Amino acid sequence: MSHDLALVWLAEAAVFTLVVAGILAERPWALGATGAAIVAAGALVRFVPRLGTTLAGAFARRRPAALGAGVVLALALPLALRSSPYWTFVATLALLYVTIGQGLNLQIGTAGVINLAGAAFAGLGGYSVGLLTVAAGWPSWLAVLVGPWVAVAVGTILFVPILKTRGHYLALVTIAFVFIFNILMNNLEFTGGPQGIKNIPTLRLLGHAFTTKPVLAGVELPSHANFYYAALVMAGLTTWVLRRLHDSWLGLALNTLRDDEIAARCCGVSITRGKLLAFSIGNFFIGLGGAFYAVMVGFVSPPDFDFGYSLVMLSVIIIGGVDSIPGVVLGACLLVPLPERFRFLHEYRLLLYGVVIVVMLLYRPQGLWPAQVRRYR
Amino acid sequence: MLELSGVSTRYGPITMLRDVSLAVEAGRIACLLGPNGAGKTTLIRTVLGIVRPAEGSVRFEGARIDRLRTHQIVKLGIGVVPEGRRVFPKMTVEENLRMGAFIAWTGADVAKRREYVYGLFPRLAERRRQTAATMSGGEQAMLAMGRALMSRPKLLLLDEPSLGLSPLLVEQLFGMIRAINEAGTTVFLIEQNARKTLEVAHHGFLLQKGEIVGRGTARELAASEVVRHAYLRA
Repeated sequence: MSHDLALVWLAEAAVFTLVVAGILAERPWALGATGAAIVAAGALVRFVPRLGTTLAGAFARRRPAALGAGVVLALALPLALRSSPYWTFVATLALLYVTIGQGLNLQIGTAGVINLAGAAFAGLGGYSVGLLTVAAGWPSWLAVLVGPWVAVAVGTILFVPILKTRGHYLALVTIAFVFIFNILMNNLEFTGGPQGIKNIPTLRLLGHAFTTKPVLAGVELPSHANFYYAALVMAGLTTWVLRRLHDSWLGLALNTLRDDEIAARCCGVSITRGKLLAFSIGNFFIGLGGAFYAVMVGFVSPPDFDFGYSLVMLSVIIIGGVDSIPGVVLGACLLVPLPERFRFLHEYRLLLYGVVIVVMLLYRPQGLWPAQVRRYR
Repeated sequence: MLELSGVSTRYGPITMLRDVSLAVEAGRIACLLGPNGAGKTTLIRTVLGIVRPAEGSVRFEGARIDRLRTHQIVKLGIGVVPEGRRVFPKMTVEENLRMGAFIAWTGADVAKRREYVYGLFPRLAERRRQTAATMSGGEQAMLAMGRALMSRPKLLLLDEPSLGLSPLLVEQLFGMIRAINEAGTTVFLIEQNARKTLEVAHHGFLLQKGEIVGRGTARELAASEVVRHAYLRA
């Protein structure tokens, strides 16, 4: 059915246009008009009979085409945002949160290992990159690949208390870890104390430094576009890998740990092995996000990885939908740019995230894009 | 097949099982009867390694299992319907059954086994794509049993499978247990429903306050004074 295809592409183009307009609108009337258009589009889908289900059906039938068009639009985003290097940076940040969020979602959503130390594990990745490049002189790309493994290694040390505690106690253990991490980073000599580590060399690809502005189809893009595309590949790969994992027998087994440990054991699942696996894989991707962040901004310091960022990561999962892979993508793309758009909100970011979590848990605990029952072949 | 000798289990200072010895004979249905708080579930947990016995040994097919972890014990060929059934509520019927076959994870075999379970419980086949939380108590009981059978266990442990079921369903359930046993699986049935249990079981044990107070064939137990008085009200 070709009108399915038209519908899917139309809807995606509309969302893309609204997002770009929402970001770039400067004058109050332009912003107001965009806001009105977004509300109108939402109301249209919500209240026009059958429009919502028609759209959902079209997307379900045309999944590859929808995904392809989504990729094309994601690739085109830096072109649309080329007048604003800052927004290219924010978009890249959102993609990092997709990577981190997927890792955290495997832990919290899939396996039920509540981890509020996301910021610390991202920090371990980031600080490893800083130390390996600045102090040890490694090339940046190698440091970015090794950094996540440091997060995994430190995670296994924390694993003993994690295995022995559940629920609130587990949350407290991980919260304590973020604070330990921060105090250590602030006070250790070799991590630069409160100053952090500066002058982390940027990534290079085939002799092309990521800080030079790329030219795409004759158009010069802001230098952050390099990072944007790298982060897009990273977020895409992470999402693909974790989707495969989630839908496999392993994902199912991890779900049993979350739902009922006794029943899981009766089925022959090893609690220790399962939790260690989920925790380590999750920490890898969280650390990867942190490592990428370090080479992108060129420095790391303790406030970049404080407890507040753990809460941001948690909000990304809750707003999207716990254990939902597409939910994480949606959550990151909503939650990271929003406070940047509304600058007056910026100082109240944590308040915003807190309110979002409370409202979501009260009124829509399954998230905006709830986890679906797995589909098999 | 399953042998406990001199098993004592404690939760802190409280002794839940005291010097329990019993043997489940291969190919038969054994039952463990006892009132609430007698230690029936503790006994199951001890067998499964969820709690460790303070004294004594547990053997399965001759090999000691009381120092193994639960998932290792299950792998030896023990299928479990735990107390309260504990199906995975957010998973579909099919996924629950898949998890039942977790220890024997080869695709073709799982599919064949699933058809066997669907043959036993046609109701589950009708609901294969439905999540367990949306099913009735009876259907969940079938699902728990089907899940336990997915791994082709040599021994099936059932912890109060009839709890909360209507008399009609209980009747069906016990018929099913008999059929499963006739297909070659040894069954160890933990129950409060003495009348029904003694109709299907071959032999059994009586647990009271953590001690075995009676044992014998089902007929002997049904005739014994303590059972008649306490359970059958006859």
